[in-house]
Amino acid sequence: MTATSAVLKPGTDTLEQGRLADMETHFKVTQFYNLEAETLDDGRFGDWLEMLAEDLRYWAPVRTNRLRRQQALSILQPDEAAFYDETKESLAWRIRRFDTGMAWSEDPPSRTRHLVSNVTVREHPDGLLVRSAFLVYRNRLEKETNIFAGGRTDLLREGGVYGFELAKRTLLFEANVLQAKNISTFF
Amino acid sequence: MVDSTSGLVDRAIFTDEGLYQQELRRVFAPSWLFLGHVDQLKKTGDFFTTFMGEDPIIVSKGKDGEIRAFLNSCRHRGARVCRADYGTTKNFTCTYHGWTYDLEGKLSNVPNVAGYDENFDTADWGLVEVAQIDNYKGLIFATWNPSAPELPDALGGAKYYMDAFLDKDPEGTVVVGGIMKWELDGNWKLAAEQFATDWYHVNMSHASALMVLSPTGKGPKSEIANTPGRQFHDEQGGHGAGFPTHPKSRFDAQKVHEHYDYGFLRERLGDATVEGPMTTGHGTIFPNFSYLPINGSIRIWHPKGPNKMEVWAWTILDKSMSPEVREAQRLYNLRTFGPSGIFESDDGENWSEVQSISNGFVTNSVALNLQMGIGSEREDGVYPGTTSELYSDAAGRNFYRKWAQLMDTPAWHEEPNE
Repeated sequence: MTATSAVLKPGTDTLEQGRLADMETHFKVTQFYNLEAETLDDGRFGDWLEMLAEDLRYWAPVRTNRLRRQQALSILQPDEAAFYDETKESLAWRIRRFDTGMAWSEDPPSRTRHLVSNVTVREHPDGLLVRSAFLVYRNRLEKETNIFAGGRTDLLREGGVYGFELAKRTLLFEANVLQAKNISTFF
Repeated sequence: MVDSTSGLVDRAIFTDEGLYQQELRRVFAPSWLFLGHVDQLKKTGDFFTTFMGEDPIIVSKGKDGEIRAFLNSCRHRGARVCRADYGTTKNFTCTYHGWTYDLEGKLSNVPNVAGYDENFDTADWGLVEVAQIDNYKGLIFATWNPSAPELPDALGGAKYYMDAFLDKDPEGTVVVGGIMKWELDGNWKLAAEQFATDWYHVNMSHASALMVLSPTGKGPKSEIANTPGRQFHDEQGGHGAGFPTHPKSRFDAQKVHEHYDYGFLRERLGDATVEGPMTTGHGTIFPNFSYLPINGSIRIWHPKGPNKMEVWAWTILDKSMSPEVREAQRLYNLRTFGPSGIFESDDGENWSEVQSISNGFVTNSVALNLQMGIGSEREDGVYPGTTSELYSDAAGRNFYRKWAQLMDTPAWHEEPNE
């Protein structure tokens, strides 16, 4: 239940680090993301777990409205409120819930489509530092609809059955009050 | 609409716009409402913003160290004078025309003040301040109602049950920084009522979470699933709380559980508190503040029209917890309760489900059943006040009785000569 590794700081901190990766690496990374999105939209969460490193830190801090001069504080710190703050073990725990046959918030299941774009890949001492944007559309029952938009900052390492493993992910939802009754998918 | 004797509730109370407006006037305006935790205001100039009913509120710590709450609306043309969630400031300046208010709510600067005649006095145009504000063991409440009973009296018999999470630590409580906020389609009473009275839903609604949490993965043993327990309700205030009394019926994080010295807690708060409200459970302080002692979740259900509520949820911690224990509680709370929580996501589904069909004409005319445990209300000799069985709707009937009573009573602002 405890976090295993430090979070990856979101946003502009990463811009100065590393040079952009070559075309082949960029292609492999975007393919990895496309496969990941496909896995989530197919509801193959067990397969998704195989894309995650054992020491994963998966973090979605809450974002607050702060005065412009206090803007540096608008994204909450790692010991503050978060929508997700997960290890591979805790994600596995969440995914086991879907398999119980009694997870009513996803029964009948939602329809989701994960769109991932704006990918930049940079070299990093620990692997690849990748920023991307996501738009996740969820449609549920007759017409319940949610749109989750945001950005991701990832640390990818080579390895695993998919060529890469996700070692760190920091998600920023473009939201203050989340416009959804629950979050029952991953990003 | 509400027959608290026979336990029937009309669904119009969840959908009717006229009733909703009356609710803002007669239920929210006269009641003590939760604002936040004193830990959110550490020093002079610290502030946060929230809502009382649908009214936007600034809560600030003045130069005298006092906590005050004001309507977050400029007295000139009505814009909010603060649009940040929280922070530190010297004053609040309206960005429309520049009227500026100090931390005590006084109007301190008016551009082109010479344009007003000699009758204009800035002392008349400070931010509108609540009638009463107080805190109970760190939880700040306020009311617009000058004739409301003082906060400790308004909380009444619920204080004993709240102490199971507010008074474990002689040093008091703090909160994790930041608030999880989300919006869902559901009337605020659906959530408030559930936390006051409804333990009945746990085994069914949360079956998947209980399975995942249990060591076998198959769910709790029958003796725990069908645990005995008690449910309290405060007849005067409308509050309710329920808790199992089986020693193994607890869903706490292991590290947090190991942190506590239960011998000390038995001495401090009594055996009954440790064996009841401290095991696990829930409660609602009427009208819209709820809590979960084991998860350290405290939350408010902000009304946003008859069909919507906004949930604001904090994690409360004991001050003397080590950083490791604090972290364990923070993680446990966000993974169980909160929009992604394995328990709470199923609650959201239930409330939006009930709400989404309630507008049907026939549906709306079919009453809901809150009849469980009718006649089981009594004084049990162990838990103070009136209690009933754990699986009972007694606190729900009491919640709606209090609600109906307020709805039928002209509030202080409606009285003549006021």
